[in-house]
Amino acid sequence: MLTWIAALPQLKRNWYGIAGAAVLAFFSVAAVGADTLSDVLERGMLRCAVIEASPGFSSIDANGRRYGFDIDNCRTVAAAVLGDADAIEYVPINPNTAFTTLQSGGVDVFPGGATWTFLRDTSLGLDYTGAYLYAGQGFVVRRASGVSRIPDLEGATICVAQGTTNEQNLADYFRARRMKYSIVTFADVERGLNAYLADRCDAFTTEVFSLAGRIVALRNPEEHRILGDVISKEPFSGLVRQGDPRWRDIVFWAFNSRVAAEEFGLTMGNVEEMRARTEDAEVRRFLGVEGGFGQQLGLRNDWAYQIVVQVGNYGEVFARHFEPLGLERGLNALWRDGGLMIAMPYR
Amino acid sequence: MRKNSAFWLQCLLGLALVALVVLVFRTTQSNLELLGVQSGFDFLWKKAGFSISQHLIPYTEDSPIWAALAVAILNTLLLAVFCIFLASVLGLVVGIGRLSSNWLVSRLSLAYLELFRNIPVLLQIFFWYYVALRALPSLESSIFITDYLVLNNRGLYFPFIEFGNGFSISPPVMGRFAYEGGFYLMPEFLALWIGLSLYNGSYISEIVRSGFQSVARGQWEAGAALGLKPVTVLRRVAFPQALRAVLPPLTTVYMNMFKATSLAAAIAYPEIVSVFVGTVNNLAGRPVEVMAVTLAFYAGVSFLVAWLMGRWNKRITLRGQ
Repeated sequence: MLTWIAALPQLKRNWYGIAGAAVLAFFSVAAVGADTLSDVLERGMLRCAVIEASPGFSSIDANGRRYGFDIDNCRTVAAAVLGDADAIEYVPINPNTAFTTLQSGGVDVFPGGATWTFLRDTSLGLDYTGAYLYAGQGFVVRRASGVSRIPDLEGATICVAQGTTNEQNLADYFRARRMKYSIVTFADVERGLNAYLADRCDAFTTEVFSLAGRIVALRNPEEHRILGDVISKEPFSGLVRQGDPRWRDIVFWAFNSRVAAEEFGLTMGNVEEMRARTEDAEVRRFLGVEGGFGQQLGLRNDWAYQIVVQVGNYGEVFARHFEPLGLERGLNALWRDGGLMIAMPYR
Repeated sequence: MRKNSAFWLQCLLGLALVALVVLVFRTTQSNLELLGVQSGFDFLWKKAGFSISQHLIPYTEDSPIWAALAVAILNTLLLAVFCIFLASVLGLVVGIGRLSSNWLVSRLSLAYLELFRNIPVLLQIFFWYYVALRALPSLESSIFITDYLVLNNRGLYFPFIEFGNGFSISPPVMGRFAYEGGFYLMPEFLALWIGLSLYNGSYISEIVRSGFQSVARGQWEAGAALGLKPVTVLRRVAFPQALRAVLPPLTTVYMNMFKATSLAAAIAYPEIVSVFVGTVNNLAGRPVEVMAVTLAFYAGVSFLVAWLMGRWNKRITLRGQ
């Protein structure tokens, strides 16, 4: 037994995380018919998994407060369930450990950065809660390299991070076009980008939202160019454990509420006034004035109101975190503006 | 009678251990089933779908995952063998240097020992990777060590035998982004090779020094009295005797060095932890199986190394000692 322990490779945090999660899977006894909602209400805190240091998605400001798109996703669920968007215990994870941490009950929800794919949905014992951001995998190159389109990268060395669909997208794209390339695979985006900046690679690839956030934050962003095309669809969705349909519904409708609020024209600023005077029956049901929709989910009736007043509607959240990075709504605009964001109706 | 009860106690302990292993295995299996997580090793036969930059055997994105595992294992072993070789040479030279009567040689050897033994090896690897990477020239201003040996921040390129119709020697040729053809060692490999070898070489040098010092003074003097040259005394008289003291601790260093190759995962060298525990686990979502295979690999190879070194040690042990 001791030799086995001695044979454990000396590893950094990532791999310890996986090993730890594997051990958790050994010993955790899964409760059949898990009831995440009761657990969260009893605890008074939402355990939310976040990937750290990802500009636009998850950062920490000078006062030590977390902010970003992913953080607001956590806050959305907390506002709906607990009525307090800040009643959150953040659990920092990395892409390699995310699924295992969620499987073994370390967090209640992982609301950020997981692309919704068939195999993940069917084999991991996890449920997706609906796409809330549509991105794609893009490339950054040095302007001096003269590369302006993805096909120019024939023969290039490309840095990429593990724990995402990026490695496979890259392989699929180049293989389908019989283009040569060599790949350098890093454990996380930070190291991969650093290696690209040290000229280890001709290009770095990841999903465009996080790419834009990181390039803007560089000392000399004008030396780099993010190519216009993307090579994949990356619909991001929240993830919860399989086998708890009520909790999955709660997370789905919480995200849906932000899009609905934008469709209704409800904002952080006007939602209180609108709740008092609106005659629209759907908005009244949405805000909990009538219909008792919150109870249907096992929540308070003002659950959606709390989301809008504390976190904002989808457009406000998007603008707060992605507009400073120069990113446009694009696919993430409302359906009536030519995007893909559409709220399921409240009736 | 007493002997008998000791035997049964051992049997009982053995059974309890087996029962514990079976219990853990069964609990894991049923827990995973309850969680709705798929388990089993069938994923090894699925298409890998990702690329690995350094592969010693033919491998493409269409290869099965077990082929990716084989590539990763070979990369691990390649690195380990290179490191064990270089660290042994360094350790031997520096260890003997410590005993040298030449002031400069012995001080330099001591400086090497103190410098590299006292810094964590992960930091040394990062140093060689990030510092060396930035210090090396870019493609356009590559260093030509000879016409066919090229060094730049993408690696060390050299000609290599190419199997096609028969075989030919293909030299590295400059392409648009990098040298193509031939073979190259990745900067990640170079950083790990240098970092692990320098660090472990310092330990080996101490083992070598103490080994030589364990050889009785009379043996050196006897050799000299026979009129042998100092080098011959070292090789033929002192070294075989020192080896007996050196082998057991050397085994430990070799095994540590082999396990430390897993640090490669920190800087993107595609060995087993990076490829299998990183990429494959993410694709297949089977952490328990993936960790089991990886642990079995490390334990198995470590056991093999210990066994081989043990046999060698047995052969050179003095009878009656």
